[in-house]
Amino acid sequence: MANTANPRADMLKNQQCESITQIKPSLVIIGNGMATGRLLDEIIKRTPNKYQITVIGKEHFGSYNRIMLSAVLAGDATIDSIMQKPPAWYKQHNINLLSGSEVTYIDNKTKVVTLASDVQIHYDELIIATGSRTAKIPAKNQNIAGIFNFRNISDTEKIQAFAKQAGSNSKQAIVIGGGLLGLEAAYGLALSGVEVTLVHRNKWLLNRQLDKVAGFMLQSIMEQKNIKFALGHEVAAFESIIATNAEITSEDSSEILSGVRLTSGEFISAQIAVIATGITPNKELAETANIDFNRAILVNNYMQTSDAAISALGECCEHNHATFGLVDPIWAQCITLAERLCNNVQKPFQNAPVPTKLKVSGVQLFSAGDVEVSEGSQCFTLLDNKALIYRKIIVKNGKISGIVLFGDVSSGMAYFELMQQQIIVNTMMPELLIGDEFVTTIEDEQKVSIA
Amino acid sequence: MNDIIFTDKQSPTSITGQTISKTNCPYCGVGCGIEATVENNKVIAVKGNAEHPANLGRLCVKGSSLHETQGLQNRILSPRIQGENVSWDEATSTVAKHFQETIAKYGPDSVAFYLSGQLLTEDYYVANKLMKGFIGSGNVDTNSRLCMASASTAHKRAFGEDVVAGCYDDLDSANAVFIIGANPAYAHPIVYQRMIKAREENPTRKIVVIDPRRTASAKDADLHLAIKPGSDAYFYNGLLMYLAEQGKLDKDYIAKHCHGFEQTLQTAQSQFSDISAVATACDIELSLLLESYQIFAETDNVVTFFSQGINQSSTGVDKGNAIINCHLATGKIGREGAGAFSITGQPNAMGGREVGGLSTQLAAHLHFENSNEIALVQRFWQAPNIATKQGLKAVDMFDAVDSGKIKAIWIMATNPVVSMPNANLVKRALEKCPMVVVSECYENTDTINYADVVLPASTWGEKQGSVTNSDRTISVHQSMIKAPGEAKNDWQIITDVAHKLGFKDAFNYQHPVDIFREHAALSGFENSHPLAEKRDKNDIYRIFDISALANISQKNYENFIPTKWPINTENPNGLKRIFTDGVFATKNQKANFIPIIAQLPKILPDKTQVVMNSGRIRDQWHTMTRTGRVAKLMTHSDEPYIAVNPDDAQRFQLADKQLAVLSNLGAEYIGRVNITNEQRTGEIFVPIHWNDNFSASARASALVNPITDSLCGQPEFKHSPVNIKSFNSVWSGYLISSQAVNCSTTYWSKIQLKQGHKYLLSDQQELGDDETILANIYPQIDDWIVLKDAQQNVLRIAGFIDNKLHCFFAASTDLTLKFNSRFIEDQLNKTHTIKTRFKLMSGIDSDGKGDVGDMICSCFQVGEKTIKQALKSGQCKSVASLGEKLQCGTNCGSCIPELKTFFT
Repeated sequence: MANTANPRADMLKNQQCESITQIKPSLVIIGNGMATGRLLDEIIKRTPNKYQITVIGKEHFGSYNRIMLSAVLAGDATIDSIMQKPPAWYKQHNINLLSGSEVTYIDNKTKVVTLASDVQIHYDELIIATGSRTAKIPAKNQNIAGIFNFRNISDTEKIQAFAKQAGSNSKQAIVIGGGLLGLEAAYGLALSGVEVTLVHRNKWLLNRQLDKVAGFMLQSIMEQKNIKFALGHEVAAFESIIATNAEITSEDSSEILSGVRLTSGEFISAQIAVIATGITPNKELAETANIDFNRAILVNNYMQTSDAAISALGECCEHNHATFGLVDPIWAQCITLAERLCNNVQKPFQNAPVPTKLKVSGVQLFSAGDVEVSEGSQCFTLLDNKALIYRKIIVKNGKISGIVLFGDVSSGMAYFELMQQQIIVNTMMPELLIGDEFVTTIEDEQKVSIA
Repeated sequence: MNDIIFTDKQSPTSITGQTISKTNCPYCGVGCGIEATVENNKVIAVKGNAEHPANLGRLCVKGSSLHETQGLQNRILSPRIQGENVSWDEATSTVAKHFQETIAKYGPDSVAFYLSGQLLTEDYYVANKLMKGFIGSGNVDTNSRLCMASASTAHKRAFGEDVVAGCYDDLDSANAVFIIGANPAYAHPIVYQRMIKAREENPTRKIVVIDPRRTASAKDADLHLAIKPGSDAYFYNGLLMYLAEQGKLDKDYIAKHCHGFEQTLQTAQSQFSDISAVATACDIELSLLLESYQIFAETDNVVTFFSQGINQSSTGVDKGNAIINCHLATGKIGREGAGAFSITGQPNAMGGREVGGLSTQLAAHLHFENSNEIALVQRFWQAPNIATKQGLKAVDMFDAVDSGKIKAIWIMATNPVVSMPNANLVKRALEKCPMVVVSECYENTDTINYADVVLPASTWGEKQGSVTNSDRTISVHQSMIKAPGEAKNDWQIITDVAHKLGFKDAFNYQHPVDIFREHAALSGFENSHPLAEKRDKNDIYRIFDISALANISQKNYENFIPTKWPINTENPNGLKRIFTDGVFATKNQKANFIPIIAQLPKILPDKTQVVMNSGRIRDQWHTMTRTGRVAKLMTHSDEPYIAVNPDDAQRFQLADKQLAVLSNLGAEYIGRVNITNEQRTGEIFVPIHWNDNFSASARASALVNPITDSLCGQPEFKHSPVNIKSFNSVWSGYLISSQAVNCSTTYWSKIQLKQGHKYLLSDQQELGDDETILANIYPQIDDWIVLKDAQQNVLRIAGFIDNKLHCFFAASTDLTLKFNSRFIEDQLNKTHTIKTRFKLMSGIDSDGKGDVGDMICSCFQVGEKTIKQALKSGQCKSVASLGEKLQCGTNCGSCIPELKTFFT
């Protein structure tokens, strides 16, 4: 057995001697992302002393607000400002933080996790919160310098470093993926003066959250922010040149990016590419532990995996065929898990649809539920092309089944609640589309409407 | 003549550049006096003239808003020939040349003038003189034909002259007023208020309303008899029979002052076996009938107040005489508080009759039937071509235009394409007529579309001249402001044409007083009372004699004190009541009883039809060219409507507040159904005002059969069998617009707003999909907001120019929705913030409820204003506490930096 690097390891040895039970059960959390940060809050709020908690994180930081990385890239926030739990916080709460550490193996028979450093830690309750990584794209020649993901502080710093040089000589960047993350990355780069082209497979941006009208509106706003678009295209291959300038070489390759070749054959020159096409859950540890997984680690309504002592949380878990990429349901998971671990209360997790928001300055959008109208549903729209305001509510069987708001997102949450609560909204239409405040007025005047 | 009696009361008071003028209202026949305040060539305020005997200081809503009708909007500013602006000289030369050539080729009866009760007496006089004395045709008729011809003829038959014996004061002193065929509460509000006030002061006074409709007047009556339409003469014949039966006749008066009673009574009795047969004929309860008869019989002072419900009938003259018969038979005439009082519709309907403006009259209460009278007029005018026979009456006149007999017509101050029966024939006739001259103030009249020559006329406030109201009171309208553009007074326009026709000497007028003096002189010319000492045997007696004014000074004319004619040597201050001595204007000086066989309207409905009645609404005047310009006058009733009894609504499957279509004579009327118990079953009511300028298809007169009274030519406007069916709208909605637009929907109706216009719209076609439905109307707009649903059930469109709301359209296939566009009306032409203007699409004010200020927390939609409110309440001392209270910052946390700024 390897060196014990923390007090809990010592306890493991002496477990039998400590039957008088001054010893608290060991709660080990693998991963130190936002889910873990929130879970810790929820646990401390409930039972600050029930568990001896160990957090193992790959990054060399405490917990930070990953959502704000795009703000960091855009220069609206600094890395310091997005730190939520510095190392001192863990100390203060008597939590053992192992940052810069990676778990390589879980032995669920002995209830021990093994770190890359060979340190082993016993757990009574284990939580896997390993998150996700950028999904691979099928493009050729990805093993060259200048291709980045946009997942963590390290990615952000690298992209920022590139952008910083853009001031002097014109730099070009390709962002692949027209989802939220891709748009935020493209926006951040464009703000730094980088000439950005965003490549997206669909005909319009955010196609999972927006319809064509809103997608085109978003595009026109982003174009005003100096972002070019290659929509309806995929990257076939990255192209490279041999590095002649030492400044741009990477550790791994002497070849550096010169641009991308699209499936259409078009070439776009770029010195960096940021891949933001989606995420792949980090489920590999589940394989070592012999617990069930599918696309991600399978959990039940109480966030338990197929091993009752192991839970999973956040982007690495799969619940009822759903995986997760937005914070809202993950916060709910944290509460379910904390209730069970701390209070032994079985509060089932319910996965609710989540409204989408985009953190790009000057762009307001809100989307939830259906995007496109389906058979038997009604669709109300409001379009102001000059103000770039678009509102759409889809009503099915009298209830809201989809919301797309662009340019002005007021009442979005009110609509969302009406959708969640399955309220019949027939009589509120179309006033509701303009704002929920108009509906009460309508009710007051009873059937007196403008048309 | 003694001018001293006309003291100078007109003393314009100057307060900070304002002058106050005493003038008259140009609307209904009450003829109220007005004090108008003028500043900078604009009438800025009007109020009732307390000294005017008609209104004693009161004004109705139409009169009170006269100053709001001013303005250049839709005014005609230049003469036009075939749509091209021309000089006055060219315009009048063209008219004169064309009339001259037509007369030369086809004779004087190939031309005609169609005049109006809106003209001033001087205008009327000159037109009548030109046609009847100098062109040589009797073809001068007037819209008074549609209004007063029956009463005028009835007066002539009974009294020997067209004379209203009593006056408005009689309405104050009558102990019972029988209102028949009139809704004065709406159409003559000021005299109606006098009746109501009199009853308030003495509650034993009775108001009896006889009207098929339960009108506003009927609702406030002591007794309402909803008789069968057109059965009025049955009612009064029955009354005569009752009076005889009950011994309530004034036998002494009949014997002394009347002629023909026995035959008249027998004729009345011949139609009924007994009084209950009268009740059956009138379709009312016998007890109600008897109650009303009893009131008439037992009240000493009774006034019958009648108007268009009597006049606009195929037997209107007979109805008038049936009324007069009862008053003569009881001596309830020619004394205070008693009489048969005909109230005119128009401000100068009586003035027109005084000058002879009807084709059946010659001039100054003189007629064609007597060659001596023709000779008298010829002598006075020194007329080279005096007409010797009656001209064509309005309906016949337009028929003659249609048949090509009349080849040139000059229409002044009236809108026959809207107001004539079978108005589509008038349209067709004018389209065909080689020369249509229209003197008019406003562009938005339907008739002007058929004019070859348009002559811009001055209007109220601009022109000076006299009018005579319903109780013989002559008043003078003042010229207070300058007419816009090249608009001229009607008398000047006619005079100019007369000059070019070669009649310069006979039409040498410099000022309306010149005309008035001549008119006054003619009234006294060879006119003496049959019992007068100094009398030429060839004199022809006319009660209408204002010869005391034949030399009136311009100053006294301009400051004329309203006075009732006659105004002559015997009555220098005028005469309140006529026939007080029981001496009438007939040859034997006795009043004539006229035997009446009561008749129902000529055309009765078949089983599939309803009877369309038509009339005025409270706040509009005639074809709306003036009142339609005032926003507040559109608020009481803003759309053509159809009042329908609930049984008929069920029978024809009509829904309340939905549109229905009436049809007759190939014309349609689309109006909103108003289901009401105020209508009898089988009878509907429509307002007469709407026309092609205000609605898609609402010229009620186009559905009126051109049936006329054979004695006077007045059309039967009150009884038109028509077909009725639901309009079957697919959608309805409205458009609020800064500019007037042409709507192409099957149904539309225009409403003037303080700013811009509102159009109520409906169609049987599917509702469109986006702003392209408005793009043709507003080619200058490229900034639109569109709200719709994919099923095309809802569509709202706002159009902006420079961020100002220019138009707003809202429509829905849910036809049960009521319309409330007040909020949007207020937003028109205002600049709207681009980021929040979409909220206008609600069409309603959120009362600021939705305004949370700049959005701070997008996740929970918490805005700056909400946060500031929470901070103000003192409960929130930190970002965390804000989060607890408002949830802001508790989801993604992106707004926490901004939230912190609230605490620094």
